[in-house]
Amino acid sequence: MALKDVKPTRSELIAIKKRIKLSQNGYKILKMKRDGLIMEFFKILEQARDTRGALLEKHMRAQEMMAIANTVEGAVAVKAAAFSVTKTPDITLKSKNIMGVVVPDIEADSVRKGIAERGYGVLGTTPVIDETTKAFEELVEAIIESAELETTMKRLLDEIEGTKRRVNALEFKVIPELTEARDFIKMRLDEMEREELFRLKRVKARSS
Amino acid sequence: MVQSSSSPGSYIYTSTRLRVRKSKLLTPAEYHRMLNMGLSEITRFIGETEYQKEVEELGTSFSGVDLIELALSWNLAKEYQRVIDMAPGTLKQFTKTYLERWDIYNVLTILRGKIQGLSEGKIKEVLIPAGSLNKMVLDRLLAEESCERVIDGLKNWHLEPVLQSHAAAAISSGSFSQMENDLYKKFYADLLKVEEQGVTGADQFIKFVKLEIDTLNTKTIFRMQADAVSKASRDLFIPGASFTLDELEQISGLSDQVEIIDALSARIRNEPLLIALEELREKKTTLNEINIKLTKAHLEQMERLSRIHPFSIHSVLVYLEKKKYEVANLRALARGKESQLPGDVIEQYLVI
Repeated sequence: MALKDVKPTRSELIAIKKRIKLSQNGYKILKMKRDGLIMEFFKILEQARDTRGALLEKHMRAQEMMAIANTVEGAVAVKAAAFSVTKTPDITLKSKNIMGVVVPDIEADSVRKGIAERGYGVLGTTPVIDETTKAFEELVEAIIESAELETTMKRLLDEIEGTKRRVNALEFKVIPELTEARDFIKMRLDEMEREELFRLKRVKARSS
Repeated sequence: MVQSSSSPGSYIYTSTRLRVRKSKLLTPAEYHRMLNMGLSEITRFIGETEYQKEVEELGTSFSGVDLIELALSWNLAKEYQRVIDMAPGTLKQFTKTYLERWDIYNVLTILRGKIQGLSEGKIKEVLIPAGSLNKMVLDRLLAEESCERVIDGLKNWHLEPVLQSHAAAAISSGSFSQMENDLYKKFYADLLKVEEQGVTGADQFIKFVKLEIDTLNTKTIFRMQADAVSKASRDLFIPGASFTLDELEQISGLSDQVEIIDALSARIRNEPLLIALEELREKKTTLNEINIKLTKAHLEQMERLSRIHPFSIHSVLVYLEKKKYEVANLRALARGKESQLPGDVIEQYLVI
């Protein structure tokens, strides 16, 4: 707000004072929100770090089991078992609210199946296929968990960034400008009052 | 299915020859040596054993793991054929009946290969033409364009009705699991019918079939127990041996491994299997270790039966089974080395 645009009136002063109060309140609330989001972010970061570690571990295990299954059963049998899967996991995407930030809440059903439900023939396969399938089911579960946490983290980061920008704007631009405008109006009003007083004195002196 | 018998001399001759062949199978020490070798060294090593002829024949056209896979398949098929030719009288018929399991394996491999769009050559690499469907029939099936035509080409196969009953659902879903389970169940049901025909030596053959069914069912129970989310399902068991389907369903419903071992031990009279079960009770093992232990117990019991009945079908079957595992071990070694798996990991999956 440029000072030249400011109207040095009492009503403007009152309005600016109200805006300053509002901005200061907003600043305080946004600062608290930013701190709260950062705390929440670090909490989730810890979980995400563990989940990511577990995901990498499960990925390595699944890859190892795949290599073992190819070794023991051969590529054709492994592919046959993989193609036998008829039921895909049901993934329900809901949302939850963390301090005003909408984050995903992913629920997955039937990721883990019993050997009778997996679709491959039990009598023509060995337990290596069971172990490989189990390793991949665990990997899918870890991916889902990781996806939820990492998306939450990404959304929280975006929100922290936005809140930080707003806090900075209020702290370094809006509030100082309003304060400057308030001071300017005050100064102008005081000056106008002094001029008026002087004018009155001059009129009084001339008439007497 | 099963016909007359031959002179006792030919039984003794066959059993002795097979015992000699069995002694030529690779020893644990040789497997351990191979575990420290690279793929080319393994190929050379295999080329110096019973597989020499096949490795030399195929060496000009194939290399690496493809050469080993094909050489092993060819050798196994030829060996099975040689045993059939060698076996006299009823032993020949029992051997042929036993080897019909490879028909199921071959047919399912072709169907799955076709569904997956694999090349004829790649499917052929893993076929074992050892059953009633010979090389020519399998080549004809391989040349067919679709799964429907493969099934149509099996009109004279005795398990064709099972194929037909599942064909539509299996081809549309791409899953042959139900078909596979039912084919094996029908196969074992047919094997058990040999008893009704009253042929000499059938009792020993049935003993083997029941032993195999018991081992398979025991493995399935442990697989279901290892899989915490599994519900008891009688569809996965083969009837006709020590346990009824109801009993198997009941045992598979138990969640505690010790309870399962108790329930199995109460009925099983097979000593190596009982010892294996007792060992499982004592320490925590992985599903693979359980499987290998049960397979070893199965082979041990077959070995015992072949010693108790030296001139029966057992001496043929124990050799065929051991040969099958030798080929499976060599395949696993070659593939494992190609996938750069460490030797100790590969070793865990070998039946030695």
